[in-house]
Amino acid sequence: MNSNIFIVVPAFNESEVIQQVISEIQNFGNYHIIVVDDGSHDGTFKVVSGNPGVIALRHKINRGKGAATKTGIIAANKLGADIIVTMDGDGQHDPDDIKSLIKPIIHDGYDVVLGTRVFATVQIPFIKIIANKIGNFVTWLLYGLLVSDSQSGLRAYSRYAAHIIDTKADKYEYDSKVIREIKNNRLKFTEVPIKVRYTDYSMTKPQKQGFVNGVKTVVRMIWDMLV
Amino acid sequence: MKIQLYQIVVVAISAIMLFTGIKEFISREAGQTYLKLAVRIIVWGGMALVAIYPDFTKLLARIIGIEGNINAVILTGFIFIFLIIFKLLSAIEKIEQNISELTRKDALENTGKQFDKKDGNSGLS
Repeated sequence: MNSNIFIVVPAFNESEVIQQVISEIQNFGNYHIIVVDDGSHDGTFKVVSGNPGVIALRHKINRGKGAATKTGIIAANKLGADIIVTMDGDGQHDPDDIKSLIKPIIHDGYDVVLGTRVFATVQIPFIKIIANKIGNFVTWLLYGLLVSDSQSGLRAYSRYAAHIIDTKADKYEYDSKVIREIKNNRLKFTEVPIKVRYTDYSMTKPQKQGFVNGVKTVVRMIWDMLV
Repeated sequence: MKIQLYQIVVVAISAIMLFTGIKEFISREAGQTYLKLAVRIIVWGGMALVAIYPDFTKLLARIIGIEGNINAVILTGFIFIFLIIFKLLSAIEKIEQNISELTRKDALENTGKQFDKKDGNSGLS
């Protein structure tokens, strides 16, 4: 089963850390790795394509985390993936959690496994916890499914779920739209706790889902209800 | 009650938008939910309601505290501008999706070759 597990990593301007992310994943298992460079302009693609064991894809222009994730998932589907794990490219996720994410799919027949960040284990700004709670509430309000961490990017999908989930969300609202797809398609899902590693690097990145991007995400989600 | 031209126009546009929304919901197109349908009915139905029963605005004016028929002019202008913005944003969204699809298609072109090469195969996709 190991040979058909794909790890999809969307990355935008992560040249400083992406090599470490790839190396860590490789240390934890014999997984196929697909990194999707989402139009970076800091040499991220050059770093990624220098790894012979990694499939490096590149968006020529930046389209958003959701678009890059979707590209990686489509690539994994085309290559016959049995399980697809999505992981952020900034090093916040611990590849050690991959095993606990894929276990419910392999052993218990789940379609989707959502990684739930355990905020209590690390020191992070209180505002981030509040923002997460708001994100969960808005996701529940709009899509009818309450989960513990609607914005976590560390998730696992069975082959069935990876094929059936269809969303046009390009940006940060992608994570919430997947929750909608889980509900609409009646996918069997579960949540598992995952570690979160907040570093100075990841916390200060301008494109992270800060307050302004969070508001934009909510606006996009509401706009989608009208159109 | 004498029917005015603006009432016909607003009701017609609202009817088209409601029909489109209901049709998409019934045909279970991607992204359609009960809540989305409800929001569409409230927004476009509300516009039609105000067009058919303009006196409804007097109730609103009484609640908000605005007097006079200037609100009728403002409302008409607002609906017109809202419609234009709505159509523009819809068109922009469609274009954004097309750009993403093209970008994705370009990115996926050599996926098979990379995979074969990675697994030590012949390199032919």
